[in-house]
Amino acid sequence: MSEQDARPRQRPSKWVAGRRGIAAVGVATLATMVLAACSSSNSGSSGNTSGPLKIGMSLPLTGPVADVSKSGYEGYRLWASQVNASGGLIGRQVTLKVLDDGFQPAQSGSNYTRLITQDKVDLLLGTFSSLLNAPDSAIAARQGMLYIEPSGGAATLFTRGFKNLFFAQPATTTDLPNQFVEWVTSLPADQRPKTAAYVTQDDPSASPAVAIFKTKLEALGIRTVYNETYAPEESNFDTIAAAVSHASPELVIHGAVATDGVQFVRSLEKVSFSPKMLFQTKSPSDETYPSAIGTKNAQAVFTSVAWSPQAKYPGNAEFVAAYTKMFGHAPSEDAANSYTAGQVLAAAVKAVGRIDQKALADWLHSHTVDTIVGPLKWDSTGVPQGTMLLAQWQNGTLQIVAPKSAATTQEVLNLKPAWAS
Amino acid sequence: MTELLQTLIFGALIGGVYALMATGLTLTFGVMKIVNMTQGALLVLSAYLCYSLWVHFGIDPILGAFLITAPMGLLGVALYKLVIERVQRIDHGLTIVATFALAMIAEGLIALAWGPNTRATTPPYFNRSFRIGSLVVPQAQLYACLLAIGVTVVLQLVIKRSWLGYAITAASENPEGARLVGVEPVRVGAWIFAISVASTAFGGAALSFLFQFVPDSQDVWIGLTLSVVILGGLGSLAGAFAAGLLLGVAEAMTTTYVSVRWATAVPTLMILIVLTIRPQGLFTRATRQDLAT
Repeated sequence: MSEQDARPRQRPSKWVAGRRGIAAVGVATLATMVLAACSSSNSGSSGNTSGPLKIGMSLPLTGPVADVSKSGYEGYRLWASQVNASGGLIGRQVTLKVLDDGFQPAQSGSNYTRLITQDKVDLLLGTFSSLLNAPDSAIAARQGMLYIEPSGGAATLFTRGFKNLFFAQPATTTDLPNQFVEWVTSLPADQRPKTAAYVTQDDPSASPAVAIFKTKLEALGIRTVYNETYAPEESNFDTIAAAVSHASPELVIHGAVATDGVQFVRSLEKVSFSPKMLFQTKSPSDETYPSAIGTKNAQAVFTSVAWSPQAKYPGNAEFVAAYTKMFGHAPSEDAANSYTAGQVLAAAVKAVGRIDQKALADWLHSHTVDTIVGPLKWDSTGVPQGTMLLAQWQNGTLQIVAPKSAATTQEVLNLKPAWAS
Repeated sequence: MTELLQTLIFGALIGGVYALMATGLTLTFGVMKIVNMTQGALLVLSAYLCYSLWVHFGIDPILGAFLITAPMGLLGVALYKLVIERVQRIDHGLTIVATFALAMIAEGLIALAWGPNTRATTPPYFNRSFRIGSLVVPQAQLYACLLAIGVTVVLQLVIKRSWLGYAITAASENPEGARLVGVEPVRVGAWIFAISVASTAFGGAALSFLFQFVPDSQDVWIGLTLSVVILGGLGSLAGAFAAGLLLGVAEAMTTTYVSVRWATAVPTLMILIVLTIRPQGLFTRATRQDLAT
């Protein structure tokens, strides 16, 4: 035992004890802050530099939009398999870590938190619908993770000041009415509709788009004769269809999200009201739409889409062929959108050369990425600077009618025929 | 006036559909005091079975409903024997948890069997209507409503006029007394579930041609069917039918004269009101048991 050890321990003075206490608290606080910073921010490079590149996502694989999500997941799977077949990303094979949220925003948020904090994924890819992407992108932003979403074009998602959110479609819902309104504007005055009805689901994507439709069409002198918003749970549209019929508009704009698009048309058929023009968001691009309303009844229905299988963008034909070969059926728009999100992510990772969330976001803010939906570039909030495509059902095929550069036919059916039933 | 009449027609027809969907639940809830949370899943399963018969064999969903009645009845017996009866022995209240779990499992199995895509049958009448002057009567809703009336009448006759009906009434009101006269409550319970689940075949058929459906469509229907049963009063088939009509008319009137947004809140609001002022339901009389609880 040394002399020092043998000496009786002296109690430190109050001043010394106080200073040590303050220092201990300071060190503890600093350590906590550092730990917190390490755990809650991924602004720097990822710690993992070898092994598979884990890409996390939460998808509504069950629940009311499971069909959409299935196509979207297939798009992601095709993208990952192609990336791996070509040697992976920055020399690492890609693995998808997928969790199911049943289309519950709370579960989806919980899944993304788990992917980031427990599963320690290297990168994230987004989910479907504005409903889910709104909270999930906020979680990614808080954790400093890059978040590229294949869906969720509600304009409100991009007003929160996030620097790491990117929408992998040509435009958000703010742009959605433009092509149709331009087409209406191009019609001779006597062929334009005189009256319009607006029916929309209370949804962050659909209802703002329909509001823009209303503002722009009213500015053209088209009188509003009906304007109603229904709850997402609504399943019976007969009474609404009867009210629309009673108002007798020449043009109907419907902010549909899922099965409501078909249900509304079926109700219009039942009350034998066929507007001269019908525009619906989302639903008409679903492959089951014509069969669900009667194939002939889809004729001349307008919708807005982000992607067309016939588009001439680099890689699009190859995507359609590879997808059809891999899954045995043609890709949907949702499959194309998730594939596009993967393309955007891959382009950034290849260009930056490492997993650095901030560097990846910075690169995307300053570059254009070639994708199957066309070249994409974003503003500082992640809003893409392209334009949506105006599509119309013509003889059983969803044709692109505007803009002219992407049109698959030069013919636009001005008037919708009466219901076939 | 035309608008009011049209609204009443739409309301009454969709109300009939609600009553049809709730028939099975009325029996199990009313007679056995079991909240069968699989009701929505069974409706969706029936809709998928009718869909498969329609797609693969071109069988009209209404005819399909008659074809799947027997297998659905057997499924009801299996459900009772394998789950309900066993869980009841532990704790009657646990049946709601057990059936809720079964509903979730059923949803997963349906998704595995038919996939997640949206389905619907499109028989010739799915989007057609009869016209009476300027009034519209949708054929699909009318046929569903007629099915509801038919199922209610048949079940009412079974309950009120047959030996099985007497046995069901005896076993539900006084199980011990029923045993003394040779009625075995367990066997009666199996019969109730057989009839209850078999009757969902007709609701499922209506679902298949009235609406698009996916595996989780049960979420919508379990809420609505519970609303109908609570409003009508436990165990009253006629009461459930009347409650369905009332609910449908109230929804339609709200859509037309109040706000489209409020339509989906109508069932909840009506339940709140009825439970406050008439907890035994609109169409049943209060019993000594009701007064004691």
